[in-house]
Amino acid sequence: MRSHKVIEIRNLTPSTYVIKMEKKDFTFKTGQYITLGFSGSIDRREYSIYSSEQDNFLEVLIKEVEGGLVSKKLKRCKPGDYLDIDGPFGHFSLKEDEISKKKFLFIATGTGISPIHSFIATHPNMDYQLLHGVRMKEEAYERESYQNNNYILCTSREKSGDFHGRVTEYLKENPVPSDTVCYLCGNCHMIYEAYDILEKQGINLGPIHTEVYF
Amino acid sequence: MKKVAFKTLGCRLNQYETDAIASQFQNNGFKLVPFDKEADVYVINSCTVTHQSDHKSRNFINQANRKNPDSVLVVTGCMANNAKDELEGRDEINYVVENDQKSSVYSLVEAHYNGEIFHPSKVNSDLFSYGSTDKGFHTRSMIKIQDGCDNFCTFCIIPSVRGRAVSRSIQDVLDNVKSVVANGAKEVVLTGVNIGRYEYKKYKFDDIVEQILDLDGDFRLRISSIEPDGFGDKFLSLLNHPKMTPHLHLCLQSGSEPILLQMRRMYNIKRFKEIVNKVRSVRPDFNITTDIIIGFPNESDQDFESTCNIIKELKFGHVHAFKYSIRKGTRAERMTEQVDEKIKTLRSETLREIADDVKLQYRNQFIGKEQIVLVEKTDGENAKGYGEHYVPVEFKGYELKKNHFYKVKITDINKDIDPVLIGEQVK
Repeated sequence: MRSHKVIEIRNLTPSTYVIKMEKKDFTFKTGQYITLGFSGSIDRREYSIYSSEQDNFLEVLIKEVEGGLVSKKLKRCKPGDYLDIDGPFGHFSLKEDEISKKKFLFIATGTGISPIHSFIATHPNMDYQLLHGVRMKEEAYERESYQNNNYILCTSREKSGDFHGRVTEYLKENPVPSDTVCYLCGNCHMIYEAYDILEKQGINLGPIHTEVYF
Repeated sequence: MKKVAFKTLGCRLNQYETDAIASQFQNNGFKLVPFDKEADVYVINSCTVTHQSDHKSRNFINQANRKNPDSVLVVTGCMANNAKDELEGRDEINYVVENDQKSSVYSLVEAHYNGEIFHPSKVNSDLFSYGSTDKGFHTRSMIKIQDGCDNFCTFCIIPSVRGRAVSRSIQDVLDNVKSVVANGAKEVVLTGVNIGRYEYKKYKFDDIVEQILDLDGDFRLRISSIEPDGFGDKFLSLLNHPKMTPHLHLCLQSGSEPILLQMRRMYNIKRFKEIVNKVRSVRPDFNITTDIIIGFPNESDQDFESTCNIIKELKFGHVHAFKYSIRKGTRAERMTEQVDEKIKTLRSETLREIADDVKLQYRNQFIGKEQIVLVEKTDGENAKGYGEHYVPVEFKGYELKKNHFYKVKITDINKDIDPVLIGEQVK
């Protein structure tokens, strides 16, 4: 377990924020996650890393959970506070030999976009399309990070996005070429449904990678 | 001569580690006695994977203390990591040894008798420095190739108590296998927490398996428990090697896709079936055994039915099923839709009946066929052991010896809860 100093808190919506911390000698593979908590506290939660492998800082994207213990406390942390980091963990990673050769489809709901942000920031020249499922337009967290034509915002509660409806509905209306490599990150129901749709569209099991957010 | 008694709970890795510690005690003049007898030293190698394992570990601590309150009582294993403060607060326990220091249990006890009292945290913490298991409790020789797990399944406490995944050097593993085979081991079993994720320098799991299979000697290789992720087709092709036993304990945990996702397992049902079908397309009688968790949060009747259906469909040779119990600090602890204990119990009964039927069907197919049995117990004329498929066999023969292979013709099956194949030695 390492202690990392908080550099900045960036509020993206009233409930969602990015914590930027010192990186020190921490290394990770883009897509991995860490566990985070206040130094000395036993309460810890898992967060995917939002920043890129090459950034000289470490960022995580957090949504404050109603009644949540850690996400509420973390939102109140200030520059100069210390947070304990453990990790990196997880196998939700890009394959080196595919990065420059394949076309990627990233599907994320809510803050599930965090590891996808890290993928794209680490490999900005990737050939990708990103479907981001949220309720409202304001949840398009830092959409300027993505090339405009490659980012499709699917809003389920209002018509302000690029597509009105869930990511799964977008997928049904816009079939995916079978040689696409897919990474799905977000809530369990989205992953389950999207998986089914992609399989029916001819995507084989191997190129579908998933990470569940709760 | 001082007497030592062991109790091991939980996984095969614990069994291996107990075997190695027990050998060390015996090599240093201790006499091994059953756990229910009076001993000078009691070693409990605990488990904490469920509430029930914690409960059992506590019972064995009480039992050891009742048998000899003046004994040196050592508690090690995963419960020692997970409930360290509680255990260190109990006066009757002399040493609470976390997994990292487990290989030093003998040194601690030796120092204790020499009047030197060390805190276990001050001793060697090498995960792979166990000695040989030649005087252990098992005929099969277990080889530890890996420890820890990075998968962080939402129900599982093991990454917290066993730590991050670490692999043993490939040369150490090969030397260990050569040494046990040279000392007469006929069956080598690979153990670890998540062996499919073995990775040492450029070598992955299939590389180490291939190199072990290529070693000379009259032995067979058994893969113990393995997760369905982390290995590729190269490993599956090695399953046809003549030294490889046709048995895999492939952990499924649930037959429901949504539950697998919530467990954060890294495969889906289709992938699991693909592996099983690939393996059985070459060898239809290949024994696939598995683990199932009953009553994971949110498990509906439909989810449970899917699990029952896949057990019937894949005809597992054995199902190790256990009721889900909350483990503190895991992600599933915070899941709100916990399943009622009564429902878990009912589902367990249903599943057990299905699993028993399927097991009997699986084992019945061996009647009339031959098995190569490694004898574990014998009086010279009657013997018990396991065939290459890891199915228990009892047979009659002539001048039978322990730790020898015999070709056995299966003639019948004993239809107990754990059906045993009955046979006769083929001369």
